[in-house]
Amino acid sequence: MFYVELLIAGLVQGAMYAMMALGLTLIYGLLRILHIAHAAFFTLGGYVGVLAANSGLPLGAAAALGVLVAATAGPLVYGTVYRPLLDKPPYVALIASIGLLIAMEDGFRLLFGPYGLSFAENPWFVTGPDLGGIFLNWVQIALGLSAVLAIAGLGLFAVGSRAGVAWRATVDDPEMAMSFGVSPERVRLLAFALASALAGLAGFLVGLLNNLIEPGMGNITSYKGLAIVVLGGLGNVPGTLWASLLLGVAESFGTIYLDKILDRDAIAFFILVAVLMWRPQGLARGR
Amino acid sequence: MDAYLTSLLTFVAINVTLALGLNLITGFCGQVSLGHAAFFGAGAYAAALVTTAGHPFALGLLAAMATAGVLGLVVGLASLRVREDFLAITTMGAGFLFLGFVRKQEWLGGEFGIPGIRPPFGPEGMAILAVASALLVWAAGIAVRRSWMGRIFLAIARDEEAASSLGIDTARFKLAAFLLGTVSAGLAGAVYAHVVQLIVPDAFGFIQSITILAMVVVGGIGSNLGAVAGAVLLTLLPEMFRFVDTYKLLVYGGLLILVMHLSPDGLVGIARRLLGAVRR
Amino acid sequence: MSLLEIREVSRAFGGVVAVDRVSLAVEPGAFLGLIGPNGAGKTTLLRLTCGLERPDGGSIRFDGRDVTRLPPHRRAQRGLVLTHQVVRPFRDLTLTDNVLLGAAREFGRDPLRALATFAYRDRRAEAEALLARVGIADFAGRTAAEVPLGILKRMQIARALATGPRLLLLDEPLAGLNQTEARAIGDLLTRLHDEGLTLVLIEHNLAEVLRIARRLAVLDRGRLLAEGEPEAVMRDPAVRRAYLGEAA
Repeated sequence: MFYVELLIAGLVQGAMYAMMALGLTLIYGLLRILHIAHAAFFTLGGYVGVLAANSGLPLGAAAALGVLVAATAGPLVYGTVYRPLLDKPPYVALIASIGLLIAMEDGFRLLFGPYGLSFAENPWFVTGPDLGGIFLNWVQIALGLSAVLAIAGLGLFAVGSRAGVAWRATVDDPEMAMSFGVSPERVRLLAFALASALAGLAGFLVGLLNNLIEPGMGNITSYKGLAIVVLGGLGNVPGTLWASLLLGVAESFGTIYLDKILDRDAIAFFILVAVLMWRPQGLARGR
Repeated sequence: MDAYLTSLLTFVAINVTLALGLNLITGFCGQVSLGHAAFFGAGAYAAALVTTAGHPFALGLLAAMATAGVLGLVVGLASLRVREDFLAITTMGAGFLFLGFVRKQEWLGGEFGIPGIRPPFGPEGMAILAVASALLVWAAGIAVRRSWMGRIFLAIARDEEAASSLGIDTARFKLAAFLLGTVSAGLAGAVYAHVVQLIVPDAFGFIQSITILAMVVVGGIGSNLGAVAGAVLLTLLPEMFRFVDTYKLLVYGGLLILVMHLSPDGLVGIARRLLGAVRR
Repeated sequence: MSLLEIREVSRAFGGVVAVDRVSLAVEPGAFLGLIGPNGAGKTTLLRLTCGLERPDGGSIRFDGRDVTRLPPHRRAQRGLVLTHQVVRPFRDLTLTDNVLLGAAREFGRDPLRALATFAYRDRRAEAEALLARVGIADFAGRTAAEVPLGILKRMQIARALATGPRLLLLDEPLAGLNQTEARAIGDLLTRLHDEGLTLVLIEHNLAEVLRIARRLAVLDRGRLLAEGEPEAVMRDPAVRRAYLGEAA
C-alpha cells in the first residue's frame, strides 16, 4: 500500500510538472526561447485565485479567474518582452526571461508580502474519496484530472482544428505556413495564452495543495520544467509528458531513499545530468 | 580606511573576480552558464575545509582553485555532449545539484554551513587580497582577449561549425574556457569564505548565479571592462540607494530586461556607440 | 596515390538514403566538379568528406590515412578544408580579421600555445596578401556585415586558404551570384588550381562547372552515376537521361 501511495503521489506531482513543461515545450518549439519566466504565470494564477477565493468567490470561479488572468498576461508579456528580441542571439531572450522572472517574483513579494497567502477555506484539501484504503484529496484528483484533460484537449486541438493545423505548420516551417496565409504571430500569441493558462491552473491547484501561495512558489517548478523539457528532447510533446511522469515518480521515491545524499529538488537535476550523459539528445528522439 | 568602505571594496573586488571569470566562459566563448555560483561555492567550501583543519591559507587557496577547476572541467565535459540549447539548463542543473548535495552533507555542515573560518589577515589585508585576485583575473582576461585564444573563443561563440571547419578543436577550447572561468570563481570563493568567516549553502544558489550573469550582461557581455563595470555597478547600487536594496531584485530584473532591449551589448556597447557618435 | 579516397560510403537520414555506397578518388592537383540534380546527395557527400556528418558505412582516406572517424577540425588540421554553401562570416569582424581566423588552425589543438601567443598583428600582412590574392584587398577594413555576397564568397575562399589547405572542398561557391560574378570566381578557382591547389566543388551552375572543372562526377539519388573527363561524362547516355533529361 505504501508503494502504491508513493506511486500515486508521484504521478500527481508528475501531472503538475506536465502542465508546466507542456507550455515550456510548446513555446520552445515555436520560438526557441527557454521561457524561464513561465514560473511567474504559475504564481500569478495562484495569487489571483487565492485573492478571489478569499473575497468570497467559489473555488471553481476563483480557479477560472486565475486561469483567465494568466492567459491574458502571457501574450501581453510575449508582445512586450520577447517579440522585440526574436532576431537577437538566443541568450538575449533567455536573460530577458530571467530578468522578467525575478522582477515579477519581487513584484508579488512587494504587493502581497513575503510570507504568502493561504486560503481562508480550503474544502477540497481536507476531503476526498476513499479509494480502497488509499486516500487522495480532491485537489490531488483535480490536479491529475486537469492535467489529463488539458493534455487531451491540446492533442485534439493540434490534430483536429484549423488553428491546430496552422500551429503545427508554423512549428515545422514558419515561412511555408506564412505563404499559406497562417499568421505566425497569432499562433505565437495563442501558444503563450494556452501555456500561461495551463501554468495558472497548475499554480492555483498547487496553491490549494500546499494551502499557501508565495512569491517564489513557481521557481523550482519552472526550473524543473526546463529540465523536463530538455529530458523530453526539446520541443517533443510525448517525450515531455513521459519525462514529467518519470520525474514525479522518481522524486516521490527518491525523497524516501535518497534523503541522506540529495535533497528533493536536486533529484530532477541529477536525473537530467545522468540522462544527458547517457543520451545527449534527451529521452525521446529529437526532431 | 573606514571599516565600511573596506568591506565594500572587498565585496566589489570579489564580485569583479566572479564576473570576469564568467565572462571568459559566457562572454568570450559564448557558453551561457547559469551555474557559476556553484564553482564559487566549491571554492569557498574547499578553502574553508582546509583552513578550519588547521592548514595554512595558501593551501586553502590552492585547494579552492583546484576543486572549482576540476568541477568546471567535469561540467565542461558534460556540456560538450549536449546541444547548445541544453547548455544553459545543464549548467543550471549542475548548480542545483551542487546545492542539493552540500545541504545534505554533514561533513560540510549541511544547511548550517561551516562557521569559524579564520581569516589570515585583518580586514584591510583581506581587501588587498580581494583586489589582488580581481586584478589577477582581469590580467588573465586581457591576456585571453589579446591572444589567439581570444580570437578562437570568438570564432566558437559566433559559429561553432565554421570554427571547426577552420581546424579549431572547439571541445578543447570550450574546456579551456570552463577551466579558466571556474578556477577564477574558486579563487573568489576562497577569499569570500575568509572574509565572511561563515559560509552557508544558500549563498551559492541560483540567485547568486543569476546575479553574476547580470553583472556580465549589464556591463557588456564579452568585454573585460564591461564585466568590471557591471560588477561594480550592481554591487554598489543597493548600497548607494537604500530604497534600491528593498527593491533589489525588482531592479535587477528590470535592468536585465531593459539592457537586453536597449543594448544587448550592455553599458560598454552604449559607451562605444556614444564614443563613435562623438568621433563622427 | 590518391589524395582523397572515398570507398563505399553511405549515409541515410531516417529512411531516406542520401548517399548510397559511393566510391570516388581525387588525385593530387585535380579539379573535380561534383554535379547532379537537387537531392542527389552532393552536399551530404561533401559533409561526410569533411567530417560534419558521419557515414553509416564505408571509409574515407585522406593522404593515405583513414580519416573516417576523425572530427572536422582534425581533418581541417590535415588540410582537408570545406567552404560552406551559405557563407558563414564572423559578421562583426573585418574581412582581414575573418581571414586571420583561418590561421587559427596553427593553434587549433593547443589552447596553451594559443594563450601564450600574442603575435596576432604581425599576421595581418599575410591575411591582407590573401585578400589581394582573391581580389578584394580594397575591402580589407570593412566588416563582413557591410559587404555584398560576392565579396563574402571570395573572403571565404581566402579564409579557407589561410588554413593552408591541401584539398579544398567548395559547396556551391557560385550560388546566389550573377553571371559576371560567377565567372569571376570561376576564374579565381582556375587560377588557384593552376597554382597547384587540389579542388572539389559542388555546383548547380553547369555552364561554369563545364568551363572550369577538369573532371566531373555525377551523383543521382545518392549513387555515383559516372565519373571522368567532362566531355566523356556529358556524352554518357545514363547521365543525359538522369540528369539533363530531368533538367530539360
